Amino acid sequence: MTNPAIEAFVQEANDILETLEDQLLELEGSSDPAQVDAVFRALHTIKGSGSMFGFTRLSQFTHHFETAFDLIREGKLAIDGKLIDLSLKARDTMRRFVDLGGDNAEADQLSEAAEVKNLVAALQSLTNVTSAPETTEEGASQAGAASEIAVFDIWFKPAADDLRNGLRPDLLLGELEDLGDVTHRLDLTAVPSLEKLEPLQCYAAWAVTLTGATTEEAIKDVFIFADDSELEITKHEPPVAASEPELTTKTVAADKGKSNKTTAPIRVDSGRLDEVMDRLGELVIAQARLNQVTTRLADPMLEAVTEDIERLLTGLRDTTLSIRMMPIETVFGKFRRVVRDLSAELNKDIKLVTKGGETEIDKNVIDKLSEPLVHMIRNAIDHGVETREGRIEANKPEHGTVILSANQEGGEVLISLEDDGRGLNTEAIRARAIERGLLDANATPTEQELHQFIFAPGFSTAKELTSISGRGVGMDAVKTTVDSLRGNFKVHSQPGQGTKVTLHLPVSLAIIDGMLVRLGSDVFVIPLSAVQECVELDTLETNRESGRSMLRIRETLVPFLDLVDVFNYPESKDTRRRVVIVRAGNAPLGLIVDDILGQNQTVIKALSVYHRDVEGFAGATILGDGTVALIIDTAIMIRRALQQAKAQEAPSKYVAAGGH
Amino acid sequence: MTLDTLDTPKGQTETPISNMLLFKLSGEMFGIAVVCVNEILDPIKMTQVPNASEFVPAVINVRGSIVPLIDVRKRLLMPPQRPSPDIRFVVLELMIEDTLTKVAIAADEVSQVIDTAALNLERIPELGARWPRDFVNGVIRHGDNLVVILNSENLFRPDPANEKSV
Repeated sequence: MTNPAIEAFVQEANDILETLEDQLLELEGSSDPAQVDAVFRALHTIKGSGSMFGFTRLSQFTHHFETAFDLIREGKLAIDGKLIDLSLKARDTMRRFVDLGGDNAEADQLSEAAEVKNLVAALQSLTNVTSAPETTEEGASQAGAASEIAVFDIWFKPAADDLRNGLRPDLLLGELEDLGDVTHRLDLTAVPSLEKLEPLQCYAAWAVTLTGATTEEAIKDVFIFADDSELEITKHEPPVAASEPELTTKTVAADKGKSNKTTAPIRVDSGRLDEVMDRLGELVIAQARLNQVTTRLADPMLEAVTEDIERLLTGLRDTTLSIRMMPIETVFGKFRRVVRDLSAELNKDIKLVTKGGETEIDKNVIDKLSEPLVHMIRNAIDHGVETREGRIEANKPEHGTVILSANQEGGEVLISLEDDGRGLNTEAIRARAIERGLLDANATPTEQELHQFIFAPGFSTAKELTSISGRGVGMDAVKTTVDSLRGNFKVHSQPGQGTKVTLHLPVSLAIIDGMLVRLGSDVFVIPLSAVQECVELDTLETNRESGRSMLRIRETLVPFLDLVDVFNYPESKDTRRRVVIVRAGNAPLGLIVDDILGQNQTVIKALSVYHRDVEGFAGATILGDGTVALIIDTAIMIRRALQQAKAQEAPSKYVAAGGH
Repeated sequence: MTLDTLDTPKGQTETPISNMLLFKLSGEMFGIAVVCVNEILDPIKMTQVPNASEFVPAVINVRGSIVPLIDVRKRLLMPPQRPSPDIRFVVLELMIEDTLTKVAIAADEVSQVIDTAALNLERIPELGARWPRDFVNGVIRHGDNLVVILNSENLFRPDPANEKSV
């Protein structure tokens, strides 16, 4: 598929189908006539342009679907759950046709497939059943429609290179003929003399007079893919009767909806955006070098230019970063379908409530997030929310509620999934953890610590646990994804009340705020979002009793790691060293460094395959002077400290036992 | 036997390689196919990666990308590098685990590019082999010099299993 026009159609069709799913699901709740119109328009567009771009099979199939919505629009067919079911299936089938890439053997096969034929039959039976007995009424409404006949003057001039892009004016004009009586006049005044003529360019324009029971919207829909063309539609008042007031209000409402889209979006390959980010990263580094030179030369004119460039670059960086941001609503939409299908499958009545869909997050995060979130929703519905009977027994409303919400807090986006099901069974988790050797039988972990076990690898296979407690299928896979996005989890569960899992994710994967620290003569970066506070080491009391290394910070004891030890550096010569207290989840950790140098915005770059298994780094970045600084992965440091603490604990127990 | 007909240890025939970049490591002359050489840089500051293997101890900044600096001497069983004013970083672009990856090596001296199409590649005799056979394709005679032709595919293969630093 190399034809750009067809590619554009496929993309557009996929977009329309995506929105169509949402629109259909919304229709289930309320049959808003504007929404019905929107669905009809969407179907009409796909049908029309499908046949234009060589997707005849898709067009033919969509025709049946469209007919049904035409009837709904005219109020002759009521919307019910069954119709929505059917519509969703039809939408999925349309997607399959689009995916096949046009009229080919596979598309023929698909249109002959039993399930598709059944679907068409079901749609047809809907449309026939309602239209057959009401022929008289239809006749009447057609008579009514006749009174709505209007005359439209349409001026249509394709853009110069539209023909090269695959536009077919003949087909468009043909479509206009479907809408009513058409007379057209070809305008060739723009055609230049032969020596100036570009054979591939379009110079022609058409003036069309259309008389028919149609609307401006419908005419615009015909030209929906010819968006570069000049298009003027003038509506004359119907010659016979005044138009119904209802009709005018409808067009106004539709116009309002359109004018909300103030600027037209353009499509950009996300690879190109990555490239822009890379260049920008280099520019930021080059700018830092320019700063250094300027400081050394101390030339006021150069200083002014440098300042200008710095200001412009900051603006450019913010704009570029914002291009990558997408509202999280784009994935939330997908979940409505998941919830609907699952509740039908499990015979549970579940409502999905979404909040904060406008929260923006980096596109890469969104792409990676949708699968784990689906997983979590499945878990919540399958294991969290009780059956109808169970809910009645527990004195809860019959229908379960799953709340998916997002909001931004500083440099983090919090996404939480909350259900009002039975909650986690901590006793069962504990038993399972001990059985699997993850927990000492005598240990007394807090509830929070116990909840973390649901993320342990292999915990998912415990079928007997999931049937009692609620969660556990593949949560380790979810955790892996979230870890790779540098995020973390918080689980809050109340027996009988429900479970809430909150994901903390960085807003951007590409750039973070970093704290620069020094170790020997090298600089490392600690993500600022993980930093809680910084303190001087010599004012602290290091508590080395009982074999465990702890720092006393105010009233609490905090475990610490000396980065000199972790990274195998020679013993530090600095006398006044510092501690950066970082936190992940609930565990604080002190990282001892030689000095704290400051903060900066850091462009994160991944380490190559050669260094991927070196523990402790989340990536690397380039500093103002062009050197590479490694970014410390605080989550891994904390895990490491916990392991060390355990290792130290074991021998101390041994000593205590030997003393007796 | 010329380079064109050389059978690699795996038995596949390599595409004809005619141009070789020659560089020195501890007095020995080595050759690597010019097609995989991206650029040659004056020494720049490198950043040690703590706890990394001795084979890839550091990273450098090559025009905004972070490139691993590979110590081929480790695999060729040669002594560590001594400071020299002629040290150059040779940046290579290789297919590593199905992705085009930039890596850099530090050469004591980069001398020239030669056309080897007409030169005979000789196998290194079993007894005289100083270098692990996997990493070397053979030797060629260029003037008075003996040039060791490296097998870049094997030499730069990431191998996390061994070579971990202690």
